[in-house]
Amino acid sequence: MTRFAGWLRYPLAVLILAVLWQLVYVLGIANPKYFPSIFDVGRAFMDLVENGLLATNAISFSRACFGLCIASLLGIALAILGDIFPVFGKGFGYIADLVQPVPPAALVPMAVFALGLGWKLYAFVIIMVTIWPPYLNGLQALASVSQVQLNAGRMLGCGKWQLLRDIKLPAALPEIFSGIRYAATLAIVSVTVAEMLAGRDGIGFMIFKKAFAMRTADVFALMFMVAINGIALNILVGALRKAVTGWHFGMMERIE
Amino acid sequence: MTIILSAKSVGKSYAQGTLALPIIENLTLDIREGEFVSLVGPSGCGKTTLLMCLAGLLAPSSGEVHFAGHHITEPPVGLAVVFQDYSRALLPWKTNLDNVLFGMRRVQGLSNAAKQEKARDILSAVGLTGFEKQYPWQVSGGMQQRVAIARGIASQSKLLLLDEPLAAVDAQTRADVQDLMLELAAKYQQTCLLVTHDVDEAVYMADRVLVLGPRPTKVVQEVTINLPRPRDQITTREAPEYLHARHTVLSLIRSMRQASKDKLL
Repeated sequence: MTRFAGWLRYPLAVLILAVLWQLVYVLGIANPKYFPSIFDVGRAFMDLVENGLLATNAISFSRACFGLCIASLLGIALAILGDIFPVFGKGFGYIADLVQPVPPAALVPMAVFALGLGWKLYAFVIIMVTIWPPYLNGLQALASVSQVQLNAGRMLGCGKWQLLRDIKLPAALPEIFSGIRYAATLAIVSVTVAEMLAGRDGIGFMIFKKAFAMRTADVFALMFMVAINGIALNILVGALRKAVTGWHFGMMERIE
Repeated sequence: MTIILSAKSVGKSYAQGTLALPIIENLTLDIREGEFVSLVGPSGCGKTTLLMCLAGLLAPSSGEVHFAGHHITEPPVGLAVVFQDYSRALLPWKTNLDNVLFGMRRVQGLSNAAKQEKARDILSAVGLTGFEKQYPWQVSGGMQQRVAIARGIASQSKLLLLDEPLAAVDAQTRADVQDLMLELAAKYQQTCLLVTHDVDEAVYMADRVLVLGPRPTKVVQEVTINLPRPRDQITTREAPEYLHARHTVLSLIRSMRQASKDKLL
């Protein structure tokens, strides 16, 4: 029953949203000029798809995936560094506190001048925004590996590096993946914002173009596309997480 | 008989501000090959700290620990610890078989296939045939502790340090695993040092019981247990020698607890 409901969750959410949307439209709560009916949005979506939306979307989606991968690996590497050298972990913590609250939109203008309009810009913006959850979760999880587990490893002859590779890292992976999962949403947000502000292609750029042309139905259709990207990336990360730390799901279910 | 583990005037203190808080002071003990020795003491006397020092996990502040004739400063090959907290000591991302195989990581001269076979043999010796592919968290507490014991034996240990291994399992399981440990110690020629707060268990299992004093702790008395092996949960526990040894150890511990209570008052 729960499994069945789990499968239906996304379509059900879309259905509820569509009903609410149409209700707002029919009751005339919002100006219909800026708030088209859900059917218009659907039609606009189909038209966009016919005119190559999916190819454009693939560019944005792959940017988000690529950026998320790099940011996650960097975040894990920094967390490991912070674990090995506590001084680094502490010092970098202050930098993290400073950089973390900067919104992606604020990063773009200066980065355009420094890095140009190419892939470097996207990489910079996504990494600056998405690196923190895997880094912070990783640092925390590496530090809180049970002492008994480490002692057991030491008794079996694990040195510092083997403890890290064979015990600390596997023990920390479930936490790191919840960080990556959160970062996945941020990756979609930041790539869309970067494309809106400085892009020449991609879905963010398309949203900007359509907005200036007052194609409201198109803009809303593109928003749905972004939402779908978010769900797709979440599913991808979830599958990877299950493949790498499947044991953790089993253990948690067992404890509950 | 050769001495396998010896502590020579071992002391350990922790820094508490500018003061040194002594946990162990001038502790000396010898464990001979093939023996089963129990260490008991009043609660909070520093048993766990002592075990960490003996295992090479913690450096003593003074004195030396020797294992198989060598002064040790880190965990040596041939010494295995079975921890009280089995659910943390086992690696939850590895199956029971892989946990035992992880215990063999320093074993040399065996192919992977041979290691697999040996690990399966040991798992069957602890009564876990059919549970190789399960994860530790899928089996009961008593079974997890048996996997941990199997992992210790698989590391080709000569000496098993058992740190209150049965404190967290129910009474029925405790009796079963006690007998299993005795059986395994004989089968795999393991010298065993059992740290416990359970006097009955200490006497039932051991050839010798070493009684630890209050903090800073040292061995205050040695009680030799002249009970025939194999031991039996019913008849051994009724033997006059058993009851006598139990009486001796229990009254020693009670007098120490009384003394420390008087000190507090």
